[in-house]
Amino acid sequence: MPPEKQLPMPMEPELRDRGIFRLNAVRPNLIDDVVARTTAEFAGKPAENQLSETLYLERRRLRNFHPTVFTKGRKDRDLRLYNDLQKGLLRSPGEADRGAMLERVTRHFAEEIGGHFDPAIYRIASHAVPWGFNWLLNAASVRRFLPWGLTESLESRINVHGEIDSLRALSRRGTILLVPTHQSNIDSVLIGYIIYLLGLPPFAYGAGLNLYSNPVLNFFMSNLGAYTVDRAKTNEIYKSTLKNYSIALLQEGIHSIFFPGGGRSRSGAVESKLKLGLLGTGLQAQIQGYQAGKPNPNVYVVPMVMSYHFVLEAASLIEAYLAESGGHRFILAGDESWQVSKVARFFWKFFSSQAGLHVSIGRPLDVFGNFVDEEGRSIGPNGTLIDPKRWLMTRGELCADEQRDREYTRELGRKIVDRFHRENVVLTSHAVAFAFFEMIRQKYPDFDLYRILRLSHAQRSRPTDDFLSYAEGLRQRLIDAEKRGDLKLSDELRSGSGAMSGPSPLPAWIADGMAQLGLLHESPVLEVSEDIISAVDMNLLYYYRNRLSGYGLSILAETGGPRKSPGEHDEKGFLA
Amino acid sequence: MMKKDFWHNSKVVVIGSGSWGTVLANLVARNSVETRLWSRDEEQVRAMNATRVNAKYLPNTPLHERIQVVHSLDRLFEGGVRVVIWALPSSACREQAKQFARYLTGDEIVIHATKGVEPVTLKRVSEILKEELPCARIGVISGPNLAQEVARGDPSAAVVASRFDEVIECGQVLFTNDNFRVYGSYDVIGVEWAGALKNVLAIASGALESLGLGWNAKALLITRGLVELARFGMAMGGKEPTFLGLAGLGDLLATSNSTLSRNYRVGMAIAKGEKLPDILSRLGGTAEGVKTATTVREFAVARGIPMPITEGVYQLLQGNVQVGEAIRVLMTRPLKSEWST
Repeated sequence: MPPEKQLPMPMEPELRDRGIFRLNAVRPNLIDDVVARTTAEFAGKPAENQLSETLYLERRRLRNFHPTVFTKGRKDRDLRLYNDLQKGLLRSPGEADRGAMLERVTRHFAEEIGGHFDPAIYRIASHAVPWGFNWLLNAASVRRFLPWGLTESLESRINVHGEIDSLRALSRRGTILLVPTHQSNIDSVLIGYIIYLLGLPPFAYGAGLNLYSNPVLNFFMSNLGAYTVDRAKTNEIYKSTLKNYSIALLQEGIHSIFFPGGGRSRSGAVESKLKLGLLGTGLQAQIQGYQAGKPNPNVYVVPMVMSYHFVLEAASLIEAYLAESGGHRFILAGDESWQVSKVARFFWKFFSSQAGLHVSIGRPLDVFGNFVDEEGRSIGPNGTLIDPKRWLMTRGELCADEQRDREYTRELGRKIVDRFHRENVVLTSHAVAFAFFEMIRQKYPDFDLYRILRLSHAQRSRPTDDFLSYAEGLRQRLIDAEKRGDLKLSDELRSGSGAMSGPSPLPAWIADGMAQLGLLHESPVLEVSEDIISAVDMNLLYYYRNRLSGYGLSILAETGGPRKSPGEHDEKGFLA
Repeated sequence: MMKKDFWHNSKVVVIGSGSWGTVLANLVARNSVETRLWSRDEEQVRAMNATRVNAKYLPNTPLHERIQVVHSLDRLFEGGVRVVIWALPSSACREQAKQFARYLTGDEIVIHATKGVEPVTLKRVSEILKEELPCARIGVISGPNLAQEVARGDPSAAVVASRFDEVIECGQVLFTNDNFRVYGSYDVIGVEWAGALKNVLAIASGALESLGLGWNAKALLITRGLVELARFGMAMGGKEPTFLGLAGLGDLLATSNSTLSRNYRVGMAIAKGEKLPDILSRLGGTAEGVKTATTVREFAVARGIPMPITEGVYQLLQGNVQVGEAIRVLMTRPLKSEWST
């Protein structure tokens, strides 16, 4: 890994009157534009059907919607709209113009989605949050008796590496679409902080409606460019409005963040299936930018991978994953609410431990998945320069083409998945979890996943010596994989050292991995006693182990031939 | 109608003037304003322009009047070319694509007609072209198309596969005529693998023929060969129906029964005890199946995919066994269910 940069990096002053800083000024036009584009999309189709479907789906949604004090106003506004809509639909098209009704519904959605940006609040937040983090860090570190006057900085704990310079350069040439992996609700806070550290203006981000029920978050998000995404609204008019809002932001040069995996990774694995709907808005923004003759219409897609030793919600995520892949319907009870106590707990734990986290900024891509150099030029696989405009010409004309663009976006998604895996920084804890889980699995090759997870305590214990040699073997294979460019390793894992190695008979990196593995959880994931290592919580072990799935590292999956090659035809469901 | 007109009014280049490249140029020339056929042999270019016939590969078929045969790449791509038909042997693909790359702008449609894969990497031709050319919209044309029969105007059909509708549309507009039908498909992987793998089976079929065996043996080879082909193709990501379609079973039937197929002729000669280098030197064109057999066999062994017929062909080509011995090995394999994988 290249030497780390001095963080935070300063933001160039001229960036403060561009992009998101102008959101409030352009917002009325932007909303008009979104409404016009969305209604135009439905122009050819009978509005009657769209409206009645929306009415039906929305009424059904509202029946199951239980408002809090903060969301009651929203529900009342919704009800007023739908009562009017219902009355209108009962009258003839001559008396109640369907086009006007469609426009009213679209505008209602667009206003709800649309965010605001207040530079004053941004200034306050960008001073208060780092100060708060640093205060918390040093308060939490007191236990470790730092010499007087020596303080720790948060930046030293967050390892940001990768294509920082390209990201900064491209953010001035075009619009950035940041696509991070998603493991935890903490992600969005950290990403916001990292963007600040890199001296970039804030990015727009589609936040789930539920987050707005928290008054503090509501205040900050509503004024820092976040827009609202209500996943419970499944009607076509809403989905189309949301896409058009995203297109409008990107076209306005407002950098945006999408989690392309949809929600958090439930299995713990690096995302291998993406939601392509919103991802495709980058391409559409670029096409519309060309058509409007904008000077910098290019959208650059920048993958970002975060690696944690522990994930706050690991237990509930893996349970949901197992329930789902086991064929049962399963709903995460109460998980979706943003509990301030949980977040505080995460940061306290994070600051008081010596754990670091790794953030890889991946190589920037164009909207087709080609690499982009610092000058914003698209580079084909063998170094040929590619002209994006040419790829958008169909039958001699630069235009949007639904089928073609869907295919381009699919290719982009495939490339993002590939980059996610290659940029992923494997930590000592992931390697330890993977090694131990695979060792147990090899002992019971005929058991399916669910039976493996229910093994007795004796069955999920292995002699320490066996484990050490197995883990060391895995580390060597990981080093080879890193040389091939399949993944990245943290310094501890590559060199075999470890921050947490104390007086321990174990090799440093393994001691580090065992100590870090699930540090946050109620009980440890692995425990050592005498010459035996046992898994305490198989589900969590599996969750952290999955960070290394999809790389073809699992021996059982590899010897089965192509039918069981990583990610494909995996009957036992070992590979997430 | 508008859409079709665009392709009719486009300049098309056909790269490669072997027998199939020449036939494709003849098909396209009927449907487009200008067709340019490229050959790397300057002498051949002169001769073809003078005699209006491809004496070496297709002596009995006159070139369509709208075909210009060219050698210079500047001339080939002069004045905005919209469509590139790629008909070079697989061994030349990467090297030639590197050379052509700088003449293309990126909005061209590329349709290739090469039935082979790259040794060692196992990359399909569309993958090679995607890597070397600045173009995204790439497709493949394949099917039971013995060049001489298509040239004669016998009824035939092919499939054009691409992930992009516009490539399929372009191929359908440019190749179709009253005697040639073009179907569309999204399964590029399946069509390309079927086209490469059937060449190996054509060698086996030729070998059977030389022993004078009857139709039972031929039918056994084709059906079980198809199973093997589909098994491998699906492991590589192809879709099952493709292997029962024109590019799969269709092409297999045509090449397994015709002395017009070069791979088939290789099989016949090798069964008579001739040496492979001698056969290839007087073949007049490439037999893709020879290289494909080695490449696929190596991969299948490494990944544990059972491919007994390919193994037999490989051993035969290496000169390790006689045809009789290869057949005996195949016939005495353990008995199993017809449906087992």
